[in-house]
Order: sequence, then C-alpha cells, then structure tokens
Amino acid sequence: MVTRQRPRSTRLLVVALVSASLAVITLDYRQGESGPLAGVGTAAKTFMAPLQQAVTTVTEPVGDFFSGLAHLPSLADENERLKEEVAELSSTIQQEGFDQAQFETLRDLQELSLTLAPPVVSAAAVTGNGFSNFEYTVTINKGTVDGIEVNQPVATGSPESPMLVGLVVDVTAISADVRLIIDRDSAVAATVENTREAGLVEGQGASDLRMGFISPGTLIEGDEPVFTQGYELDGQAGLYPPGMLIGQVSRFVPAENETQEYIEVRPAVDFETLQFVLVLQAGSDA
Amino acid sequence: MTRRILVSIVVIVTGLLLQSTLFWNLKLLGVRPELMFLVTILIAILEGPQEGAITGFAAGLAQDFLLNQPKGITALTLTLVGYAAGLARNYIVSPSPLLPTILVAVGTAAGVVFYQVVAFLLGQLDEPFSFAVRVTLLSALYGAILTPIVYPLLRRVIEGSRPTRVVRF
Repeated sequence: MVTRQRPRSTRLLVVALVSASLAVITLDYRQGESGPLAGVGTAAKTFMAPLQQAVTTVTEPVGDFFSGLAHLPSLADENERLKEEVAELSSTIQQEGFDQAQFETLRDLQELSLTLAPPVVSAAAVTGNGFSNFEYTVTINKGTVDGIEVNQPVATGSPESPMLVGLVVDVTAISADVRLIIDRDSAVAATVENTREAGLVEGQGASDLRMGFISPGTLIEGDEPVFTQGYELDGQAGLYPPGMLIGQVSRFVPAENETQEYIEVRPAVDFETLQFVLVLQAGSDA
Repeated sequence: MTRRILVSIVVIVTGLLLQSTLFWNLKLLGVRPELMFLVTILIAILEGPQEGAITGFAAGLAQDFLLNQPKGITALTLTLVGYAAGLARNYIVSPSPLLPTILVAVGTAAGVVFYQVVAFLLGQLDEPFSFAVRVTLLSALYGAILTPIVYPLLRRVIEGSRPTRVVRF
C-alpha cells in the first residue's frame, strides 16, 4: 500500500541523504585506507564473513541442483517415476564426482604448499565473491589471526602447475579480500615461456587478460604459457613470486603504434569454480 | 518502528549475502543481479518515496562498505533511485501487475548508468563502453526476471512488519 507523504519533508530528507552520501564520498576520498570509514568497512566485512561462509555452505547444493538440471536428459515421453529416479541417480553421481574433485583439489594444494618457494602463510577456502559487477574479488575465510596481511600473493593449482590467483587487498581478523588477476586494477609482471618476452599482464574483467609492453616484431604463438616474472626494484622484491602460471596466450593483438604489441592471455584459473587457495608470504618478506 | 527497521536490515543483509554467494553461480550471461537496486525499488513501490530513499541510502551504504572501491557512490545512487521509484509509483496509476517489473527494469537501468557516470567522473571506472552497456541491460533484465518472485515475498514481509491497529470498544 502506498502512503501519501508530505512532499516537502520528503524532499528535505532526500536532500539530507544525498548530502550525507556526498560527505561519505569526500571523506573516503580524502582519508583513503586510514580513516574511520575504512574502520567501518572492516567492521562490516567482519560481520558478513561468517554469514557468507554459512550461506555458501547452504547454497552449494542449490547450485549443484541447478547444474544438475542443466545436464539432465529431457525425454518428453518418460514417466514421472523414471524421471525422479534419473534425477536421484544423477544427483548421487554428481555428488560423488564433486567429492572426488574436491579431494583431489585439496591434495594438490597440500602438495603444492610443500614445494612453493615463498612460504605458505595459510590455506583458505573461498567463502564469498565481490558485491559488484565492476569488481573481481573473492573473500577467503582467513584473516589477521591466521597471519594474513595486505599484499600477500594468493595461488592455487598443483605442484606441477602452481597458478596465480591474485593479491590480498583488504583483511579483517577473520577474513580477507583477494583481488583476482582479472580485476581491472590488477597488473602483474610476466614473461612468455618460449620467447622470454617480458611485459605487464593487466586484468580486463570478464574478458581475457591483456599483456602489454611487448617489443615490436616479436613472434608469439597461441597457447604459449605466460608466467609471473620476479624482479627487484631498489632492494624491494615484486609482489608476486616468479614462475607461477598466469595463463596461456589466446590472441595476438597487432601493434597500435610502432613501439608496442599486445597479446591476450586466457587465465589458467577457473575463477567461477575456485574453492580453495594458498596465501603466500609477501615478496619482500619471503 | 523497531520491528520495521529490523525487517529492513534483514532484507538488506539477505540481499547482500545472496548477491555475493548464490548469484555468483547464477549469472545471466556473465552479469549478476543488482539485488540492492531490486530491494530499494520494490520497497519504494510498496511504501512510497520517503521509505524508498531511506532504504536506498541504507542499502547503498551497506554495499559501499563491503566494496574495495570508493564509498558513497552506491548510497548516492540508490537514494535517488528509491525516491524516484516511489514518486513514479505515486503518479503512475495503473492496475497492471506488470508495473513493478517495468519499474524495476527501468529503475535498475537508470541507476546503473548513473552509478557508472559518477564512478567515471571520480576516476574510479575504467570499463569499456560495450561492457557498461551490457551490465546495464542485463542487470535490468535480471531484476525484471526476479521481480515476480521477490515482490510478493517482500510485500508479505513488509505488511507483516506493519503495526496492527487494535480497536477497543
């Protein structure tokens, strides 16, 4: 039911709320990560982290259900009893497959954690994802009490193929936000395996990554792997450890000018299904 | 009043939780629904421009504090979206059951465009034009698809939170 309100008082309220929003934008812009607004943000994330974990646990079967529906055969003449039976069996098989895949992922991560050069700070589960269509982050269930700090790199994969996930950008006591390499604010120093051509891999959101600063005339073939490149600047190591797989070359982009060429890189990690990760010690601490 | 505020908080928190968990796996061509837009517009339709603006501000601020982006832009956007949706509901007299769906689609599209323009002017958005258009259209479509499911639920919750008038003889 719509209630008629006095327009003048409503307009005044809207002006007050708009002013408050503008004040928040200004304060946040001026204070950055050190102001009281950042503290409120940390408190909000601390409140939401356990709820996200609980909802993820509860809604996982729902996701499986929809996934199962998409893969079930649709035979129009099949009777109801058979359909239910098929659905039940499919669900069981999928669950077993899911459990097996999860076991293998965890075993790979366990082995990977023993072989990585920068020591592993902690293994973590992905409990949530970003809140916006314009931000590519995931939330993990480990925070400062587990030794997680801002700027620590995050990886996944197996000992044969350690893959880069992203970087810790915000941390609370019990959770942390990881900016994925596909985020538009992400930039990683990288090298193409065969040509040893170095460049900067930047996130493009839902599209493939883009690697720039490649010398003109360089011949790069499709499917060549692209790895992180270690570097040191004024005694400070880079943010990411060297030798981690970023992805494979998917497309060569002709030079827009005389000095640079670009390639597109398909990420090695499937961020849609990412469940477990390893947080590594930051480059300068390793 | 306290009950009403609690209900609004629960609705907003539930929306944020679903948006960052379940709907990550239920994207429409790569785009998630903007559940805070949906909640704001539907409450504005049910309760009017004042409630719409307040809910929009609260929902936007809650989302802002969970983002790793500058805070305040979503609050500003949703305040205006909630107010405009409430006004539109007051002035558009139509018995059509499709009205909430249309208002959600139009309000979400306008709000997402406004958000992107403000974020761009503040130097916080670097998306290609094609992606911006895609997110705008698909989030509006996703909101419209969800409206027939969410609207009756939300109406029941809101009506349940209203104080019941007791007449004594």
